[in-house]
Amino acid sequence: MNDLFANRTMTRDGQLLLEKAQRDRIETVWDRFENQLPQCGYCEMGLSCRICVMGPCRIDPFGEGPQKGVCGADADIIVARNLGRMIAAGAASHSDHGRDLVDVLQEVAEGKATGYQIRDVEKLKRVAAEYGIVADGKDPAEIAGELAYAMQEDYGTRRKSLTLLQRAPAKRRAIWDKLNITPRGIDRETSEMMHRTHMGVDNNWQTLLLHGLRNALSDGWGGSMIATEVSDILFGTPQPAATMVNVGVLKADHVNIIVHGHNPVVSEMVLHACQSEDLLQLARENGAAGINLAGVCCTGNELLMRNGIPMAGNHLTTELVLTTGAVDMMIVDYQCIMPSLGSVAACYHTKMISTSDKARFPGMQHREFHPENAAEKAREVVKEAIENFADRGEVYIPVEPVKAIGGFSVETIVDALGGTPQPLIDALKAGTIRGAVGIVGCNNPRIRQDFGHVTLTQKLIENDILVVDTGCAAVATSKAGLKLAEAAQMAGPGLREICGALGIPPVLHMGSCVDNVRILVLASALANALGTDICDLPIAGAAPEWYSEKAVAIGAYFVASGVYTVLGPMPPITGSMNVVKLLTEGLKDEVGATFHVEPDPEKAALAMRRHIEGKRAKLGLPSLKV
Amino acid sequence: MKHVIIGNGIAGISAAEMIRQMDADASMTLIGDESFPPYCRPMISMVLEGSVGYDRLPVRGADFYDRMRIQPILGNRVTALDVDNRTVSVQGEHNISYDKLLIATGADPRPIKANNLHLKNIFFMRTAEHVRAMLEAVPSARRALVLGGGLVGFKAAYGLLHRGIPVTMLIRSGYPLALQVDPRAGQMIQDELVARGLDVRVEVHVIGFDGNSRVRRAFLSDGTELDCDMVVIGKGVTPALSFVPKNIIQVDLGILVNRHLETSVPGIYAAGDVAELIDLARNTRWVNAIWPEAVAQGRVAGMNMVGRKVAYKGSLSRNVIRIFGLDVMTAGIVNAPHDGPYEVIARDDPLRKNYRKLVFLEDRLVGMTLVNHIQQGGMLIAMMQSGRPVNISREKILSASFNYRQLIR
Amino acid sequence: MRKVIVHPQRCVGCMQCMHACATAHSKSKELFAAALESPLPKARIHVGVGLFNEGFPNRCRHCEPAPCQLACLPGAISRDVETDTVLIDPDLCINCASCAMACPFGVIRYHQHCYAPPGKVVAVKCDNCFERQMQGLIPACVEVCKAHALTFEDPSRALKRRTDEVARSVSPGVLQTDLAAGFSVLNAHKRQQIEIALRRSQS
Repeated sequence: MNDLFANRTMTRDGQLLLEKAQRDRIETVWDRFENQLPQCGYCEMGLSCRICVMGPCRIDPFGEGPQKGVCGADADIIVARNLGRMIAAGAASHSDHGRDLVDVLQEVAEGKATGYQIRDVEKLKRVAAEYGIVADGKDPAEIAGELAYAMQEDYGTRRKSLTLLQRAPAKRRAIWDKLNITPRGIDRETSEMMHRTHMGVDNNWQTLLLHGLRNALSDGWGGSMIATEVSDILFGTPQPAATMVNVGVLKADHVNIIVHGHNPVVSEMVLHACQSEDLLQLARENGAAGINLAGVCCTGNELLMRNGIPMAGNHLTTELVLTTGAVDMMIVDYQCIMPSLGSVAACYHTKMISTSDKARFPGMQHREFHPENAAEKAREVVKEAIENFADRGEVYIPVEPVKAIGGFSVETIVDALGGTPQPLIDALKAGTIRGAVGIVGCNNPRIRQDFGHVTLTQKLIENDILVVDTGCAAVATSKAGLKLAEAAQMAGPGLREICGALGIPPVLHMGSCVDNVRILVLASALANALGTDICDLPIAGAAPEWYSEKAVAIGAYFVASGVYTVLGPMPPITGSMNVVKLLTEGLKDEVGATFHVEPDPEKAALAMRRHIEGKRAKLGLPSLKV
Repeated sequence: MKHVIIGNGIAGISAAEMIRQMDADASMTLIGDESFPPYCRPMISMVLEGSVGYDRLPVRGADFYDRMRIQPILGNRVTALDVDNRTVSVQGEHNISYDKLLIATGADPRPIKANNLHLKNIFFMRTAEHVRAMLEAVPSARRALVLGGGLVGFKAAYGLLHRGIPVTMLIRSGYPLALQVDPRAGQMIQDELVARGLDVRVEVHVIGFDGNSRVRRAFLSDGTELDCDMVVIGKGVTPALSFVPKNIIQVDLGILVNRHLETSVPGIYAAGDVAELIDLARNTRWVNAIWPEAVAQGRVAGMNMVGRKVAYKGSLSRNVIRIFGLDVMTAGIVNAPHDGPYEVIARDDPLRKNYRKLVFLEDRLVGMTLVNHIQQGGMLIAMMQSGRPVNISREKILSASFNYRQLIR
Repeated sequence: MRKVIVHPQRCVGCMQCMHACATAHSKSKELFAAALESPLPKARIHVGVGLFNEGFPNRCRHCEPAPCQLACLPGAISRDVETDTVLIDPDLCINCASCAMACPFGVIRYHQHCYAPPGKVVAVKCDNCFERQMQGLIPACVEVCKAHALTFEDPSRALKRRTDEVARSVSPGVLQTDLAAGFSVLNAHKRQQIEIALRRSQS
């Protein structure tokens, strides 16, 4: 194998498709990354500021050139402002995604969103109860209407604190109150961040960063949490189910449709259309054996979690999957969809469809989906995909798919444990399982694709640490065969025993990237059961290959919630060692957790084991010297 | 000190300049067979092509000999060298004595064997005079035949195609420039030329010509005939050393010289196309008849002639060619034998139109072929010349973005 | 004589020197107008990438003797003794790329530019901003480099500064303040990222 491609991705399908892409003269994300090198050091360090037009400004990291922007902001302020705006963008993305789901819930309640329904009435009632909605005697639509309204209020400015914060342990909420970072409204915190970072508002880097944590919490315990809960209500709470992963899930004799993006609102309707008998018949009439729906990225994770729909790949595979020539249509919603996809698809017969009024892309046809028309639109585009099957050229599907199990919602994990988290707590106490780690986040061309995720996961499970993962990390470990019950063989003896007893893999797929909140909910449940705070638990978080602003928000809400979080790539903060020190050391005294940056996944695993054993010792549990 | 330099090509000129720079009082005589002032031989193909006029060929002004206080003896060839008496004989001149002698006579086109070579419009392409004659034939030419796919044949074909004359090229080997480039680059070059109208015939040669005073037809070794009214012979060059007493001065293909460019006879030096010395990439004696070597060797020979014992590390074959849409740069070993000690790595990146092949011997770079992205080629050549061990990832060097920073720690 | 001096350890890879250079070698000398010119002005300083993706401003060293000058077929490359600058005459240049084969630093590019005959592709490289220097300005790349990776000064002064830095760093009792701690952290991180990849490909 070409060394160049082996350095770019550890996946076999990725390497083979990179060769194909080169033959087909397709420019990929790695090529563009190389073209960008060297990347601007001011920007990498967070030292450039484009906030106003007295600037743009940059600070000389060597201390001889300018040390202040035109407005007078120094390195600390500029770095903190830039980071604050990254968090705001990330929180806005997840939360706006959540809002779209609340809108569907609202329209379902009003009977306008034909095609959608409430699949998990029990969960609807449970969540409604948390919002103080009395369900007795009301039909689900009515409850849904009231819940949607209450959630919309969480987005606004009328609350003093977000409703779902009450899921957090009391000790944690007290810390937030003390630091004055309890999020009040989802949109409010993002809006306030934009205000604070305007020239001449908040010029104290500490308070800017603290507001960054509040903004992130408004995502983790607000926008993202609502997104997950409403998705479960509308489309069903995930249940463990077997599926297949990697590019090999494409089928040469089927109409292949790929959904890409994040929000299940569109992809669920596409799934329905793909299962309808008349369209299947049409596919057969067009010479195909059937319709094969597969996902990439998080909209794929949403379908995988709830419906066992196969997963073709994660972030860095999204261009490569098109080079198979086997994709008849790719349907996208929003987030992490590279604007290059249209031009890749243009080299093949693949039809590219954008669906959201807020997300348009060059080289794609726009078919706008709304809750009222989504079912009908989905049928239309699937029909187009079927008709496109005949236009296929040469097809290259270089690998066989790998089996995986997905669908571990908090509810099903508790079910698997026999209805209570107690067995997990007992295993933790006994030390059979040393702790748990949530691995989340993206792919990044700076890092060999999946290498960070897979290496870190392997090192952790070898040491009896249960791994839960989401997003592109979850796809990476699925591709690597770690999401099978048999993968317990790769785990340490304790974890192997537990997995064997419960029949679960050592790495649990908890969903898409908004579903990181499931990890928060699980951690809270454990903390509450132990009568302690999240920051006292033998747990940690990691984002070994993160790239996006959403990941910054996720990392910040993990840390603000008390989860020690290890990042692979360096965030743009090294321009201010004050900011670096606060985030990697100082926050420990404030929120009981810090960030740690470690590009080497093996060293990251070591740091996490050390952290977990330290927490075990503090809880008076048997601990190891690492 | 009396210096005599035979040859007014760039090696001789460079040596003369170096001698004058280091010794203001030295006496210098320069013997040249061309009467034209010192000119740039590699540029004659551009005159043929039409991109450069004759006026641009001189590399030094008409006052060069005066300025350098050189006694020029031009228009005649050296007929004999008397080593014992330290004299050279020049046609039509008395014997010239020397203290130090530099042989920089260059090379002559290698003749071919074929019938009726006397016919008009059958040319070599080596000197400005040859091109002047060719250009006289161009207006009435309807099809040209180029013999040989080497650098000269290739440049002749390129120039004639530019003039709108259809060209047929006969190549004995499998692809053009087989000595200069690897098969992949050779194929790319051939494709480019064929796309512009060149007719290439491989593994065939000419056995004779026919015509009525002017050439009209060629007979080929495969039994076929070819109409042509102009022929260019480009079958390489051979060092011009007919006057050298081979029983006294050691000669192989060229005149053997040591690291000081001195021949086996003390006080007699050789440089440029006529000299044979250690080749850095091949690690064996080699004649590298190229312009930059002639410049460098001439300068070093000059220094040694005035008594500076400067050592020349060795020569290195290298070439750069631009053909319509392709830039090709090569150096050192381009076709490493499969069973040899070499390690070869290559990358073909059609997206960036970048093809690179590198040849390593242990930890040293000894050969390269670059198609496009040639700006960094000089750096790779410098690496080969310095012989410094390559201690960075070899893959890095294959990338079009490879640059100088990656060599310094 | 003042010269442009490169301090590679300070390059942050922002490429502002490239924009400034292209602008300084445009017709209009204004960034916004220069971007609309035809031929598009191009930089003569090239920010390349090092082994761990750090930046490096690569420009002509104006060597003595200059290998490009020795290799130039038409004699288009000469040295201006007064400014110690190796210059390429675009009228004489024949775009043969012999200089690319000779330059050990890889700093020569081939394209059209506004000082060359229209439509003619020629070899182009740093000219030490002699036009700007005649107007009393310093070279454009130095002017925009806020990280002081490029300075315009007497080489002996730069050397003295460097030796003083080294002397200070080994002197006892002198308080060490690493002004660029953050940049070192970033570079150490990037270096580690690359080394992890290398470790893998060797195993």
